[in-house]
Amino acid sequence: MNLVLIIAVSLSVSAGVWLLLSRDNFRILVGLAILGSAVNLIIFLGGRPGTLIPPVISMDAEILAQGAASPLPQALVLTAIVIGFALLCFGLVLGARLSRAHGHADVTRQHASEPLAGSSDDPYKPKVMD
Amino acid sequence: MSTTHTTSDNGGKAWLWMAILPLSIFLALVWGIGNHSLPWAYSLPWVPSIGIELAFRIDALSAQMLVLITGIGTLVFVYAVGYLDHEPNRGRIFLVLPVFMLAMIGAVTADNIILLFLFWELTSLTSFLLVGFNHKDADVRDSARQALLVTMGGGLALLGGLLLLGQIVDTWSLSGIISQVSAHTSDPRLPWAILLVLLGAFTKSAQFPFHFWLPNAMSAPTPVSAYLHSATMVKLGIYLMARLDPAFNNLLLWETLLIGVGTLTAVWAAVLTLRERDLKRILARSTVSALGTMTLLIGLPSPGSGLALMTFMFAHALYKAPLFMLAGNIDHATGTRVIDRLMGLRRVMPWSAVVAILAGISMAGLPLAFGFVAKDMISIAKEQTDLFISISYALVIVNAITVAVAGVATIRVFWGPLKSPRKKTREVSWTMILPPLIIALVGIEFEFFPHIADPLLLAAAQNVSPDLVVTELSASYEPADIFSALGITMVIGIVLFFAWDRLHQALSKIHSLDFGPEAGYRLLLRGLSVVAAWHTRLIQPGRLDIYLSLTLSALMIMVVFAAWHTEQRFAMDLHWSEHALAWSVASLIITIGATAAALMRQRLAVLMASGLLGYGAAILFLFAGAPDLAFTQFSVETALVVVAAAVLPLYAKAPPLEPLWSNPLKLLLAVSAGIGTFLLLLHMQGLPESRQLADWFATNSLPEAHGRNVVNVIIVDFRALDTLGEIAVVAFSLLAAMPLLQGITWQRRKLPASPMLTMSAKPLYWLMLVGAFWILLRGHNEPGGGFIAGLVAVAASSQLAILLDPSTARRYQFLSPLALALTGVGLALFGGMFGALWGPGFLRHLWAGGLSSVMIFDLGVFLAVWGALMGYIYSLLEVKAGATNKLMESAS
Repeated sequence: MNLVLIIAVSLSVSAGVWLLLSRDNFRILVGLAILGSAVNLIIFLGGRPGTLIPPVISMDAEILAQGAASPLPQALVLTAIVIGFALLCFGLVLGARLSRAHGHADVTRQHASEPLAGSSDDPYKPKVMD
Repeated sequence: MSTTHTTSDNGGKAWLWMAILPLSIFLALVWGIGNHSLPWAYSLPWVPSIGIELAFRIDALSAQMLVLITGIGTLVFVYAVGYLDHEPNRGRIFLVLPVFMLAMIGAVTADNIILLFLFWELTSLTSFLLVGFNHKDADVRDSARQALLVTMGGGLALLGGLLLLGQIVDTWSLSGIISQVSAHTSDPRLPWAILLVLLGAFTKSAQFPFHFWLPNAMSAPTPVSAYLHSATMVKLGIYLMARLDPAFNNLLLWETLLIGVGTLTAVWAAVLTLRERDLKRILARSTVSALGTMTLLIGLPSPGSGLALMTFMFAHALYKAPLFMLAGNIDHATGTRVIDRLMGLRRVMPWSAVVAILAGISMAGLPLAFGFVAKDMISIAKEQTDLFISISYALVIVNAITVAVAGVATIRVFWGPLKSPRKKTREVSWTMILPPLIIALVGIEFEFFPHIADPLLLAAAQNVSPDLVVTELSASYEPADIFSALGITMVIGIVLFFAWDRLHQALSKIHSLDFGPEAGYRLLLRGLSVVAAWHTRLIQPGRLDIYLSLTLSALMIMVVFAAWHTEQRFAMDLHWSEHALAWSVASLIITIGATAAALMRQRLAVLMASGLLGYGAAILFLFAGAPDLAFTQFSVETALVVVAAAVLPLYAKAPPLEPLWSNPLKLLLAVSAGIGTFLLLLHMQGLPESRQLADWFATNSLPEAHGRNVVNVIIVDFRALDTLGEIAVVAFSLLAAMPLLQGITWQRRKLPASPMLTMSAKPLYWLMLVGAFWILLRGHNEPGGGFIAGLVAVAASSQLAILLDPSTARRYQFLSPLALALTGVGLALFGGMFGALWGPGFLRHLWAGGLSSVMIFDLGVFLAVWGALMGYIYSLLEVKAGATNKLMESAS
C-alpha cells in the first residue's frame, strides 16, 4: 500500500519545489514548509512503515516487540518537525518584514543584499587586467 | 671574501653581514666536495602515510648548481649592498634574497618530487616578490605578475607531470623515478607526463613560447636580475631537464621537443636581441638564447653533450652575471641603460671597463677564457651527432649574435669618445666593482687552472650523460683548431656588431614581430577576467529563484548520477492491509493539500492547503505506529496556521500570486523533482532496511535508559546532544526574529470577541497546561515527551492570546517567552551535567528511586519549545491586531 503514499509524497515534492521557485516570498515559505513535510515523510518511509504498533516497550517485556514500528526515523522526524517549524516562523517574520519594507513580496525585486546583474552597483562587472 | 668590511659611515653597509650566509654555505660545500665523495643523501620522514619524505640527495650535478647558487650568491649580496645604497626599502630585498637562495638550494637537492615541487614554486614566489620590488610602478607590477603567472602555471603542469611519473613508476623518489622509468616506456601515460614536466621546465627556463616573461622581468633591481634571471633560477628548468635526461634520452618525444624548442628559442631570442636598445634587455634576450642552447644540448644524444652543457652553464653564469652587474653600474653612474646614449665610459669608469673586457672575452668565446672551452665542447658535442644541417647553421647565427652582444656590452659602451647623459659620470663604489670583477676573473682563471673546476664538471656531466668517457676538460690550442672554432662565427659576429644599428632599424620596422606569444598571454589574461566575470554573473545573477533552480538542478543531477550507479531494484507494495484505508485517506489528503497549495492564487488558500497537507501527514503517522509524530504534526500545523494567518495582513499590499503556467522551465524542474522522488522512493522500497541501529535502540532502551517509549529515549538520552542543539536553534531563532519583529510597526486595537469564549479562555488555558505537564511526565514510558508537551502548551497560550489579547496573555506567564526559551536551554544543559559529574557522561542520565536527571532535561525541552514558539505567536498576533481589515481583504 506504500505506493499510494509514495505518489502523494512525490506530488508534495513537486508542489514544494514549484512554490519554492516562485517569486512571491510567502509562496516560497509555504513551499519550504511543504518540502519539509515531504522530506519528513521520505525519512519516515525509510523506516518501512507498515504496522500500527508504536515503538513503546510493553509493561511485561524488556525489549521492543519485533512487530513494532522502527523508532529511529520517528525520533529523527519528531525533532525535524519542531525545528522546521521554528525555521518557518523565522522565515515568515523575515518575509513579512521584507514585504513591509518594499511594499511588495517579489524576491526578484528585493536586492538589499545583492545587486542585480548588470545594474549600476553590480560588483561583478568585469575588471579587465592587462 | 669581502664581508669583513662592515664598519662604514653608511648604515646600508651593515647589510654586508647577510653575505656571510651564502659564503659559509659555499665554503662548507667546497670543503665537503674536497673531502667527501659524492653523492650525499639525507632523508627524514614527513608524511610517511603517502610516501612523502624530506629526502635530499646531492650528486655532482646538484653540487655544481650549489656552487653557482652560493658562490655567485655571496657576490650578489655584496653587490646589492652597493647597488641599493640609496634605496630606503632595501630591507625587503635582503630578506627575500636569502629565502630565494634557500629555495634554490632545496630545489636542486630535493630527491622527493613533492619536495622538489614545493621548492620550485617557492623560487617562483620569491622571484615575484623580487621582480615586483618597485611595486608602485604599474609596469613593474605587471612584469612581476607575468613572471609569476607564467612560471607558476608551468609549476602546476610540472606538479601534474611529476605526480604522473610517480604513479607510473610507483615511487615519489626522484632518483628512483630516473633509475626505474626505463622499465615503463610503453606506459601510455608517459608521453603526457613528459609533456607536463617539460611545460614546467620550459616556463621556468623561458623557452619558446614562454620566453617573453624573462626580458620583462628586467624591471627587477639589477642584483636580482644578475642572480635570479641569469645565474640561477632560470637554470632550474635546465637543471631538471638535465637531471631527467638519463631517464628519457632514448625517447623520440623527449629528444625532438628538447632539440626543437631549444633551437627555436636560441634563434628567436637571438634575433629579438637585435631589436632591443636597453642594455639589460639585450642581455636578457641573449640569456634566453643561451638557455635555448642549453636545452638543445640536453636534447643532443651524444655523450659529449652533457659535458658541453655543464661547461656552458658554468661559463654562462660566470660571464652573464658580471655583465648584468655592469649594466647596473652603468645605470647607476649615468642614469640610463640605453646603448645609443652611452659611449667611451672607460674614461670615467675604468674598473667597470676591466670587468667588461674580461666578461666580454668569455662571452664571445675568445681563447684564454672559460667561454672558449665551453664553445669548444659544444662543437665537439655537435660533431658527435648527426645534426640537421639547419640546426648547425642556426647555432652559427646564435653564436655570431652572442659575439655581437659581447661587443656591444664592452667595446661599444666603453670605447670611443665619452658620451653620457650625466655630466659628472663617476665610477661606482667598490662593492659594485669587486663582485663582478671576481666572478669575471674566475671565468678566466678556470681556463688556466682547470684542475679546480674540472673534476666537478666532469662528474656532473657524467650524471647527465652516463656514457661519457672523457677524463679531462680543456680546449685545444692548435692554431688550426682555434681558427676553426673562432672562424666563421667570429667573422659574422664582427659584421653584426658593426651593422647593429642598421639591423636594429630594419628589425624594428617589422611590426609583426611585436605580436609574439606575449600577445597571446595578454589575450588569455583578458579573456580570463572576462570569462570569470561572465561566469560569476551566470551562476550568481542576484535572483533567488535562479539560485534555487541551480541548486535543485545540481541536487537532481547528483541523485540521477547516484541512481545510475546502483542496481535498479524497484518494489511496489500493493497488498491491502489493515491500515490501508487510513493510509489511502491520508495520502489523498496530502495529495489534495499539495495540489491545492500549488494551484491556488490567494495566499490564505495556499496556506490552508499546506495545513491540509500537514494534517494528512499527521493522520498517516497516527496509522503507522507513530503516535508521537502524529501529536507533534497536529500541534505544529495548528500553530503554523495561527502564525501564518497573523503574518498574512502584512502582505496586504503585495499583488496577487502569479499563475501556475508563468514559467515552463520552473514547472519542468518541479515535475522532474517529483518524478525523481518517486523513482528514488520506489528504489528505496526495493532495498532491504538496515535495522542495525533501530534494533540496538529497541534492545537497550529499557536496560540502559529506563524508558519504554523508545522514541523519547532516543531524543532525551541516546541522542540528547542533538536535541540540545535543536532546542538551542529553536530558542535562538526567536532571538534572531525579535529585532525584525520590532521593526514592524502596528497599532493596537482590541478585538471584539464573544463573552462565552473570553470566559472559557482562562480555564481552558490552565487545563491545557496541566495536560501538557501530564504529557511531559508520561513521555518516557508512553507516547508524549517534552516536544509534544511544549506544543500543547503553545496551543494553550495561542488560544489565550487570540481570545483575550497578547498583552493579557503575557500576564499569565512568569517569564517572557524569550526568557522562558533560554531557561529551557539552560535547564537541558543543567540536566546533562549530572551525568557528566556523577554518571556515565555528559547528557547520559542518572536514575535513583524512579527519579532521574532526564526529567530536568525533558523539562528544558518543554520550556524551550513552549517559550520560543509562544514568542513568535504573541509578537505576530500583536502585529495582526492593527490590520484585521486588511486580512479580510487579502483573504477575499
